Amino acid sequence: MDVIPSLDLLNGSVVRLTRGDFSTAKVYGDPESVLGSLNVPDESRLHVVDLEASRSGQPLETQTVKRLAARDLRVQVGGGIRSVGDARRWLDCGAQKVVIGTVAADSPDVLQAIVEDAGAQRVVAAVDVLDGEVRVAGWSRASRATLDEVLASITSLGIEEVLITDISRDGVLRGPSFAMYRALPANVRVIASGGVSSVSDVVSLARLRNVGACVIGKALLEGRVDLATASLRASMPNAIPERIIPCLDVRDGRVVKGINFINIRDAGDPVECAKRYEAEGADELVILDISATDANRNIAIETVHRVAEALFIPLTVGGGVRSVEDFRALLRAGADRVAINTAAIRDPSLIERCASEFGVQAVVLSCDARNGEVMVRSGKESTGINAVEWCKRAESLGAGEILLTSVDRDGTNIGYDIELLRSVTSALKIGVIASGGAGKLEDFRDAIESGGARAVLAASLFHDGVLTVRDVKQYLAQEGIPTR
Amino acid sequence: MNVTLIDSPVANVANIARGLRAAGAELHVTRDAAAIASARKIVLPGVGSFAAAMLWLIDTRIDVALRDAVASGATLLGVCVGHQLLFEASHEMGFTRGLGLIDGEVTQYHGPLPVPQIGWNRVTVTPSPLFDGISNGTSFYFVNSYAVSSSANEIARADYGGAFTAAVQRDRVFGVQFHPEKSSTAGIRVLRNFVAWM
Repeated sequence: MDVIPSLDLLNGSVVRLTRGDFSTAKVYGDPESVLGSLNVPDESRLHVVDLEASRSGQPLETQTVKRLAARDLRVQVGGGIRSVGDARRWLDCGAQKVVIGTVAADSPDVLQAIVEDAGAQRVVAAVDVLDGEVRVAGWSRASRATLDEVLASITSLGIEEVLITDISRDGVLRGPSFAMYRALPANVRVIASGGVSSVSDVVSLARLRNVGACVIGKALLEGRVDLATASLRASMPNAIPERIIPCLDVRDGRVVKGINFINIRDAGDPVECAKRYEAEGADELVILDISATDANRNIAIETVHRVAEALFIPLTVGGGVRSVEDFRALLRAGADRVAINTAAIRDPSLIERCASEFGVQAVVLSCDARNGEVMVRSGKESTGINAVEWCKRAESLGAGEILLTSVDRDGTNIGYDIELLRSVTSALKIGVIASGGAGKLEDFRDAIESGGARAVLAASLFHDGVLTVRDVKQYLAQEGIPTR
Repeated sequence: MNVTLIDSPVANVANIARGLRAAGAELHVTRDAAAIASARKIVLPGVGSFAAAMLWLIDTRIDVALRDAVASGATLLGVCVGHQLLFEASHEMGFTRGLGLIDGEVTQYHGPLPVPQIGWNRVTVTPSPLFDGISNGTSFYFVNSYAVSSSANEIARADYGGAFTAAVQRDRVFGVQFHPEKSSTAGIRVLRNFVAWM
């Protein structure tokens, strides 16, 4: 998948507008220096929009486009192109392609004329979609045609690439519109636009069969995505398999599961459960001792020991870890990684001390969150600390991974909290395990694809046999997400 | 089968011991150089830093014992950092010489993927007694920031933003970069192949 930097041009400078308002323009500098600071290679594709042309129809950036095209950049230009003459002007400036918006959706005859003049391979059609409906003329009104009709008319002209932007309100919070792209006809080659805020979004887009490219503007300009990393990851979207992790919530040596951390019920013997999960293809196992903060810890150590004897996949253990000594005791009992929670809030240096003693790969920071705040004592008490800031701090102190649990979703089966996940995963380099709320197959996909999680954890769903680990793996494979 | 497991303080010996027992080994866990020098089948585990692990081998003279054992026909398996120790040197935190039983040097991963690699990765295997019954594309569990990019003694390769050596064999010396004791059925099969090999 191509990763295409996107620059909006106004008065010869790269700018960004807030909600299309020209008075809000934030200036990033001249295009050459922006390309330099983004490390855009000379042979790269580049998407530019002449904002003045899109507002008034008057193209002002022809000299800029000429200079960029002279650098061997493969430039595609958009902004108010409504006629053969408009398109021809940009192509004569050296643009490789023109991006046609409103007329592509509303005036098939004009689009056809442009294609006849320029050739279909030099035309990108751009379609803006709001809640499934095509919007035109600066999103001011709905197109006369439906999305399917618009796409059919575009592809019938031989146009290969369609730049599709989801302008729905919730798109900002949930990232690129993966579900919309997936639902498009197979013959549409999509340039995805909008919502990319992390490298993980780029990887998720690259896994979609009909997405051939994505444009990134703000996330590059704001330094949230590194172009070189994004391009390399886009060329190997399946390099890292995603992990499915069943969780055993254990109290007094028995597996239990509650709803919202309360209403606990017995669900069996931890060793039997662990062996069953390994046989089903679990990539790892998590044991959370939910009694440990309040009560008996020796039973937990004994449980870990018994499970480790029977289990030959990685084992992460958490619950009631207060000190380096507690951490060491769990590793000795057979854990590969240990999750720290409440004690790290009280004394963040515990993360640092455990990381330097046992290595970052052994340290998992378990963060229970509600309304964006960190909760402690098994989700019973709020700390007032911002969850994203806390996870960033934990990363800098040496946590190797974050186990992020939505307290509100835990045990509810209504789906992972994608917004919580995105807020944390897009701010961190280390991996995040999504926890709390898994109820159906799509939830696992969404946590990875939209949420940016590197692993998905579930407890009651697997205990109750609603789904098996194998079901989840088969489903993810079918959705283009690699697993072991 | 009797297997001598080196009781390295820089390894999770208990985990590899569990895996070896599950693979049918009668374990002798020791840090006695003389016992290691005369052992016939040896496992060298290791996690963490190459330099710390090598330093311990030198301090305890287990480095000499291992070379002696191999010279007199012992079978040796290095696991994770134990695998890396078999090579000539590592570039982790400077330059540290290894045991030199296998040609090649350990270098840091380069590329866009997060380091350390922590997770499952598919392995391409070439015929070896170690991989009897293991098909191409089987996944094993890795935890590493450093690896050998290629080796003349390679018997398995994997890719992590670039190909690297996942396992080696030179005569009776074997090394696996992954953790067989954490690699479920396939990992235990590799250990069983090692334990059973004559």
